[in-house]
Amino acid sequence: MDKDRDIVKENSCKTIIYNAMLKKNPMLASGMVIAPVIMTVDSLPRALTLAASFSLITFFTLLISSFVPKSIVYTVRIIMYAFIGAMVYVPASIALEYFIPEQIERMGIFFPLLIINSFVIYRSESIFFLESKGKMMLDIFFCILGYDAAVLLYGIIREIIGSGTAWETIIGMPVIFSVFAEPFGGFLLLGIMAALLRVVLLTIKRVKQK
Amino acid sequence: MELVKNIILTAFTSIIIENTIFSRALGTSTLILVAKSRKNLFGFGLSVTYITAIVSIITYFVGKIFDLNGDAYIYVPLVYIFILGSVYILTLLCLWRFAPPLFLKIRKYVHISAFNCAVLGAMFIISKYCVTFIDYLVHGIGIGLGFVLAVYMTAVVYDKIYSEKAPYAFRGYPLMMIYLGILGMAFWGFSGHMMNY
Repeated sequence: MDKDRDIVKENSCKTIIYNAMLKKNPMLASGMVIAPVIMTVDSLPRALTLAASFSLITFFTLLISSFVPKSIVYTVRIIMYAFIGAMVYVPASIALEYFIPEQIERMGIFFPLLIINSFVIYRSESIFFLESKGKMMLDIFFCILGYDAAVLLYGIIREIIGSGTAWETIIGMPVIFSVFAEPFGGFLLLGIMAALLRVVLLTIKRVKQK
Repeated sequence: MELVKNIILTAFTSIIIENTIFSRALGTSTLILVAKSRKNLFGFGLSVTYITAIVSIITYFVGKIFDLNGDAYIYVPLVYIFILGSVYILTLLCLWRFAPPLFLKIRKYVHISAFNCAVLGAMFIISKYCVTFIDYLVHGIGIGLGFVLAVYMTAVVYDKIYSEKAPYAFRGYPLMMIYLGILGMAFWGFSGHMMNY
């Protein structure tokens, strides 16, 4: 915990943005909140739905949870975070169902499950709430943005190679790998994309060294 | 006899065919965290199965007493978190009072075993698909055991996945996803999918 705190203090705004978007990307590097990605994101519209619902629920849950006093024991604090998530879910659900009712219905149980995502349960205590309020907001914002960007990229790629469509319109792909539309294909694609991110990061590092 | 047959079928379905990780990816983030240490695997598995079993029983009675369908469905997560939180607190209190050594041993990971997508997901799944009390209970235990099976299967190869021998780009998390994908493909076969020739 102390080690985490030291790392957090040392982080500049530039590092926070770089880490959140690339180096420690929540989805492609840390493996956070991947169940809804694998199960629901098989097209760009569905990726947008997940990005919108995740951003809305996570941002407000973390924002409100940051005011929970540290004097309360951890056992109770963790329940309070989950409870705040469930309360944020109510207006978020009403708002999203008003604008995108069909897409939200297609998310099934993975929409309410966002209330106890890894950001709220693990990352809040180990990283976010150790930072100053300003830095915390910046970190949360860019972590959510990094996750959303990865989800959208994943959605586009999975839709093109798995269904041969773009925005649910046939684009005439010569070969369609329908296995990528299945849950296990989702795991495989995520693994490949995570490896590609490593290659990109390594290339950036080598270019900087030169 | 019919009851025993149903119990075996339901258990097989929830542990293998509809495995919480391989068929629904529920709790994958938790699996990544937990698979690191093989030391606490048994205790963790036991506590996840215990929690899924208890919350399944409570969910059954809550479903019988309150109508959570219709417009009330947006409050379902609130109810489930209340149930989960109560079970979590009561379990910790009982352990603290009656088995302090066990309490000290499991308090490090009990919150991970209670507040994860596999447990909350189990509550949503069983309330959607189960009807009888036995269904709820067996499915609840089965989901817990299925999760433990997936964690164990990952923990077994954890060292190899993070080995220096693995190519840098794939070492660790990427390889773990590919491994879960391959296992998922094998488990997918249990649900009776046929290739189109």
